[in-house]
Amino acid sequence: MIEFKNVMLSYGDHVVLDRVCFRCAFHEKIAVLGGSGGGKTTILKLMLGLVKPDSGQILVDDQDITVMSESELRDVRMKFSIVFQEGALFDSMNVKENVAFSLREFTKSTEEEIDKRVRDLLKILKIEDAIDLMPEELSGGMQRRVAIARSLAACEPRMMLYDEATTGLDPLTADNICNLVNELSRGEPPGRVGFIIVTHKVTDAAKVAERYIFIRNGNIIFDGNIEELKKTKDTLLRKFINELYISHGSA
Amino acid sequence: MNLAKSKEALTKLQDYYVLAIKAPFGIFRKPFYLRETIEQMDYGGSGSFFIVFLVSLFIGMALSLQTSAELAEMGLKMYTGRVVGLSIIKEIGPVAIALSYAGRVGSGMASELGSMTLGHQVDILRVHGVSPIKKLVSPRVISSIIMLPVLTVVGDAVALLGGYFVSISVAHQSGSVYWSQIKQIMEFVTIFSGVIKPFIFGYLISTISCYMGLSTKGGARGLRKSTTEAVVYSTIMIIISDFMVTKILIMIFGIPV
Ligand SMILES: Nc1ncnc2c1ncn2[C@@H]1O[C@H](COP(=O)(O)OP(=O)(O)OP(=O)(O)O)[C@@H](O)[C@H]1O
Ligand SMILES: [Mg+2]
Repeated sequence: MIEFKNVMLSYGDHVVLDRVCFRCAFHEKIAVLGGSGGGKTTILKLMLGLVKPDSGQILVDDQDITVMSESELRDVRMKFSIVFQEGALFDSMNVKENVAFSLREFTKSTEEEIDKRVRDLLKILKIEDAIDLMPEELSGGMQRRVAIARSLAACEPRMMLYDEATTGLDPLTADNICNLVNELSRGEPPGRVGFIIVTHKVTDAAKVAERYIFIRNGNIIFDGNIEELKKTKDTLLRKFINELYISHGSA
Repeated sequence: MNLAKSKEALTKLQDYYVLAIKAPFGIFRKPFYLRETIEQMDYGGSGSFFIVFLVSLFIGMALSLQTSAELAEMGLKMYTGRVVGLSIIKEIGPVAIALSYAGRVGSGMASELGSMTLGHQVDILRVHGVSPIKKLVSPRVISSIIMLPVLTVVGDAVALLGGYFVSISVAHQSGSVYWSQIKQIMEFVTIFSGVIKPFIFGYLISTISCYMGLSTKGGARGLRKSTTEAVVYSTIMIIISDFMVTKILIMIFGIPV
């Protein structure tokens, strides 16, 4: 269980999150939507303790992570895996070393074990051929895949966090990533590995999510499922979901 | 408004102190990032030999040209070696080489760590439980406090050689007089102050530049700001700390005659 209680965060005079409250379980499939600069990435960072709120509490399994030190946060962070906007691959390392990063850092695996694990992961993500390439040689879609592989290498997350996993990709590649997100979250609740996908494309969110959270000006203005979303009267929300009808209509 | 600004400045200073104090202790606690440290020593140290060579050579020659002409006026030309040697080893060598190092290596540290910060690579390290200070800052600090003194010793030697060539070819002085003068000033205090300074400068440049890099925000413009500030603050701190170290050394050892 993850819970935000009255979370406030501002940079200087700019209020990014204004008393945000919400609660979710690890097995849920959630899409966080909102315009640019709305604080979506910030919510993911708060969840991992990478940023501390000015006030309010963030509970992960009933423990307040806002008061934890960096070393105490280690166990909390093991419960999640995160894929950042644009992948955030280490650009000084090739694909293999990127994926092997946490294995080398944490485990005492031998070189063969590491090699096998990396190849297995890349196979699942269908990018075996890229193993020796450098990040700058990869396309955007491949970078996301490598980032996903890296996030899965050393830990068994209970929830996966994707920041703009499909932004900047062509529709076909975005579709592939959505399928992947679904595949990686197999199983039945409550044992299922859930996810939070941050995006500003409702069409992509609709392919994967069961719950939708909209953020605007630091507030949650909508929280519910697709039926509720379609009934909303809010003009801004309507603009977002109209996109949904257009793409369904043309398909 | 002003209160908020000064509060922010204080928080920054505190963050810098934390980084500056933690980073060198990276050597004493596991895990050791030996490979990263060696890579930094290679890039920052060995990679800087050429610029250090050029800077030192010309400073040595210019200084020798200037002083020998000036001293010849007063009939004291035989002291050229002494004046050139003392100014190079105690003052100009350490400062000039540290400034070149700040421009070449410090700016590089700030921009590299800055783009890693903006690209969330630093966040990824933290998510995986790796301390950015240990993995990124310590290797750079350790490499700098080792390599800058080495570069300075090499640079001093090159500068003295440059001074020697000018003094025999342009100022027509006897080479043996020049070297015997240099030999005379090679006392503990001279060498100590010539090595302690680059050690301190290396620490300042690397901690300031890494701090600037890690606190980068706001895209390409923010990166420009942190790279510029890294060089500006390093430069200011080199000059100020040079004065203070000189003052302290004189207090401890007195003025050597
Ligand atoms: N370290 C920081 N310092 C100052 N302001 C920040 C910082 N990090 C984020 N912000 C501001 O907080 C706001 C929210 O940022 P965030 O990255 O969470 O937005 P986002 O919803 O993910 O947007 P995008 O769709 O562009 O990724 C932005 O206006 C940004 O300018
Ligand atoms: Mg974002």
